Parts: sequence; structure tokens; C-alpha cells
Amino acid sequence: MSETEIQVRKTGAAPSKGSREDTIMKRVFLSPAVVIILLFSIFPLIWSLGISFTDVQRGGSAAISAAQVENPDYNGFLGMGFEVTLRNYQRILEDSRLHTTARNTLFYVVAGITIQYVIGFGLAVVLNQEFRFRRIFRVLFLLPMMTTPVAAAYTGRMIFDQSLGPMADLFKHVSQFLGLATAIRVPWMTDPGVAPWTLVIVDSWQWIPFVTLIILAALQGMPEELYEAARVDGANGWQIFWKITFPILLPISVTVIMIRGLEIFKIIDVIVIMTGGGPGSSTESLTMYIKDTALQFGNFGYAAAISYVLLVLVIAFTTAILALSRRLVPQNRA
Amino acid sequence: MMKRRKWWHSLGLYAVILFWSFIVIFPFYWLFTTSLKQPLHVARGPRYIPFVDFQPTTEHWQELFTGVQGDTTIRHFNNSVIAAIGSTILSVIVGAMAGYGLSRFQYYWRILGWRNDNIAYWIISQRFLPPALFVVPFLVIYSTFRLIDTHIGLILVYTMINIPFAVWIMRDFFDTLPVDMEESARVDGATRWQTFMKIVLPLSTPGLVSIAVFSFIFSWNEFLFSLMLTNFNAITLPVLIAGQNSTRGIQWWSISALTLVAAVPVIVISLLLQRFITRGLTAGAIKG
Repeated sequence: MSETEIQVRKTGAAPSKGSREDTIMKRVFLSPAVVIILLFSIFPLIWSLGISFTDVQRGGSAAISAAQVENPDYNGFLGMGFEVTLRNYQRILEDSRLHTTARNTLFYVVAGITIQYVIGFGLAVVLNQEFRFRRIFRVLFLLPMMTTPVAAAYTGRMIFDQSLGPMADLFKHVSQFLGLATAIRVPWMTDPGVAPWTLVIVDSWQWIPFVTLIILAALQGMPEELYEAARVDGANGWQIFWKITFPILLPISVTVIMIRGLEIFKIIDVIVIMTGGGPGSSTESLTMYIKDTALQFGNFGYAAAISYVLLVLVIAFTTAILALSRRLVPQNRA
Repeated sequence: MMKRRKWWHSLGLYAVILFWSFIVIFPFYWLFTTSLKQPLHVARGPRYIPFVDFQPTTEHWQELFTGVQGDTTIRHFNNSVIAAIGSTILSVIVGAMAGYGLSRFQYYWRILGWRNDNIAYWIISQRFLPPALFVVPFLVIYSTFRLIDTHIGLILVYTMINIPFAVWIMRDFFDTLPVDMEESARVDGATRWQTFMKIVLPLSTPGLVSIAVFSFIFSWNEFLFSLMLTNFNAITLPVLIAGQNSTRGIQWWSISALTLVAAVPVIVISLLLQRFITRGLTAGAIKG
């Protein structure tokens, strides 16, 4: 490279055709994605926030129709056929069904994360051992994750059926074996206290593999020397796990827990198939309540308002996890 | 280096593995055998082993693919295929382009003060918004533009949901791709676009397959939007199953067969392309 050429590059007067092309091309590459997100995500979000302050309903607002009895010319806010109101947000405070569904959703998140993380982590440790046919089992254990959630839910519904399912049969035989006079019958899907757990079991069956997959990948990336050194120092397996393995896996654990938590906040299909939200509203999730409010009752304003309740919960959850991780994970490693 | 284990350690290990294998396999086994059962064998409590406990029959499978029921099955299967493949193609194109842009160019959005990393985080954060937030605006917007119950409507929503992850994975992928070949192609006079199409994309097959699999599986399995935005013509398999589940009550034998029709394609694709899934998920999660 000659002296002048370097000079040219430094002053930035280098091949100008390329750089002008690049200023166009860099927009061309990124724009489709940005436009789609703006159009299909940001714009609907803002629109939805607007709707949440109105009484927009399918088939026209009831309040407008009532007012038109006295004043036929009246057509709501700026003549657009709806009224601007805070009523939706007032209703949030009083709506006990909303409170129940919010509590259910939080229960699914907390119980789901706990079960999936603990069992998923355990299975990852097991799969990280050396044993025969390990590769086959690593794939086999991922199978539930690859199933359509609706299929998992439907199978769960058959297995946990109270009279015709194999779970009931199992409990019957166990009771007989224990010599009980009456068989133990668990109301898997019909008792408000049990049904949420059944749903967590089915969701966990499907998503434990996700935790296993990620933790296993992280375990395989751990340097062998660490263990060697610990063993030389006389640490036993238990100590090695709690003093070395677990702390190193904390950051990735936080990520896994957060991803699973955010996914469980969206739960709906498993519930629709297995219990339909019942008995009562005892298994209904927020997403399901939003869907019913919009689709069944046609109350768009209120559905939009409670979808923002869900967003607030999601943001609170994310913030809490991040704050917790900042405390648990030493800063220099994160 | 293999350390010799104590015998009880090995025993425990194999016990856990066998137990969990059972937990994993049994539901699939149950779903499959139920699709072969006659109504009587379902209604009289659990029957476990074909030919021993009950005489299997394929009549529900035949019924599923013949006559009126056959038309329904095939139509909804096609709906699922169209929605999934349409959004997969769009997501791969848009995701690869944006991923390439974010990996190779310097962006600076002056108003927000955002650079490449900020933009990437903004895009991936869309993936974690609860879809319920979009239920109302999409119902309103889609009925305004007459997109309710159309294939294109579903394809657009699914693309919107798939893009963040696609961009994230592809950006990650292009970061690991050396720029030497691109630079020499550029010196030879190729334009950016030619370089991207002729040099970069052929080298990116693993990344592209990875995002295609994720997009396909997500769109195939999606429930909420299909339920909201379709009512007859464009209904996909998961919603069809949910509907039959509530209307046909205890006719488990035929719903089981239908459920397998919905589940098997995804399972087969996942098994064939399993390493791409593992790679995409671990890259996404461990980097993020």
C-alpha cells in the first residue's frame, strides 16, 4: 500500500462510490424489520393504550346509544362514536375476576419456574454424566418441548381424567396396595385447589427440557481444570456443586428463569384445553380473561385496559429478576 | 477422563434416566394408543396395551381422512402449512437482512441516541411482550382492513412475532462470519447486495435453517392469534383441536388422531433439525 493511498484513507476521501452505496444499503437492510415492528408492534401498542381510555365496544358503545335517546345528534368524543373515560381503570380496582386471574397467572409463573428450574437443572446434571446411549437420551428428553402445546394439553387432559385416565388408575392401585378401604381420588381438574397444580404439571412436562437444554450446554462449556483443582484440594462432589458449578451457572440460570417466566405469563392454550378456566375462574389466566373480554363480551376498551395490567406485571417481574440477579451475581462476572 | 463410579451411584443414575424416559414417553404412547381405541375401550376406563388389553382399530384414522371429516382435516392442515411457511419465508428474509445490517454497519439513531446494540435490544424486547397486549388492536385493525380470517392476516402477525428472534440469531451468526471474503468480493467490484446474496447467504445456511425452524414451529403451534383472528376459512390445527375438544366431549379416539396429525410434523422436523434448534437456543440464551 503506497504512502498516498494511506493518506487518502485517513482523510476519509477513500472510494466514495462504495461509501455512498453503503449509506443507502445500510438502511435497505434494516428498514424492513424496523418498519414491520413499528407497524405491527409499536403502533398497535399505542392504539391499544388509546382504546383503553375509551368505551369502544363491538357493535357500538352502550353509553352512546343511551345518550342518543335524549340527543339524537350526540355521537360521543369528537363525533367518533365513543366516549373518553377512566371507567376501565376504575373497574380494574373492583373487578374480582381480574384479581383472581392475575393471582392465578402469578401462581403459574412462580410454581412453574420453581418446578421447571429445579427438575430441569437436575436432569442437566444427570445428562452431563457419562453413561451408555447418552446421545439418545439427550434427544429423547427434549421431545416434550418439540410437541405442539395443544397436543401436550390434550394428552394431559386424557391422562388426568378422573375416572378414565391412567393417573386415576394408578392411584386406585396404589390405594389397593396400601390396603385402603376407599381408593384415593384426586380431583385433578375439578377442584379449585388442585386444578392449577395440574396445569403447572402439564406446562412443566413440556418446558423442563428447555431448562435442561440450556443448563446442559452451559455445563459442557465449563473448564475441566476447575473440577480437577477442587478435587486436588479434597472437595467432595456436593461441595464442588455448591461452591463451583452452581455459582458459575447463576448468570445463565437468571436468563433461563426470566425467559421461562416471561413465557408462562402468556399461558392460555393449556388452560383452554384442559379446564376451560374452571372450576369457576380458579384456573383462568390473565391472557385468557383478556381474550374472553375482547372476543366473547366484545368490550375492547376494558380488554385493552387489563392487557396493560398484564404488561405492568411482566415489567415488574423482569425488574425484580434483574434486581435479584444483580445482587446474587458478582458484578465483575456479569 | 472417566472416573470409576460407585455402584450405587450408577444405579441411581440409571434409575433417574429410566424414570424420566417413562415420564417423557408415556404421554406420546397414550396419545397414540388412544387413537387406536374403540369407544368402548375408552369409556370403560384405562386400557394400556394393544392386542392384550384391547383390539386396536384404524377406523378413526380412516375417518379422519375420508368424507366430510377428511375435507375438514385437510383444509385446516393446509391452513397451518400456509400460515407457517408464509411467515417463515418472510421472517427469514427480513431477519437475515436486518441481522446482516446490524452486524456489518454502524447505525446511529440521533433522536433516541441509539446505536447497534440498543437497536438489537429494542428488537429482541418485542419478543417478550405478552401477545395479549395485541389482541384488541389487532381485532380492531384487522376488521378495518378486512384481514380477519385470511391467510395473509395470520402470516403478517406471525412474521411480526418471529422477526425479533430471527434478527437476534442472525446478527449473532454474521458476527462470527469472517469479513475477508466479502471484502475481496467488494474489491472485485461486487455491490453490497450482490455480496450479500452471492457470498454471505450461501455461507449462512446453518443460521438460516435455525431461524426457519424456529419460525415454522412457532407459527405452526401458535394458538391465541389463530383463535382471535380466524373464524372459519383460515383456522389452523391447534384451534381446530381446541374446538373439537369442547364440542365432541369424550370422543377421545378421533381427537387423539387429529392431535397427532398436528403434532407429528413438528416433532419430525425438530428431530431432523435438532442441532439447529439447540444451537439457536443456546446462542440466544447464553449470549443474551
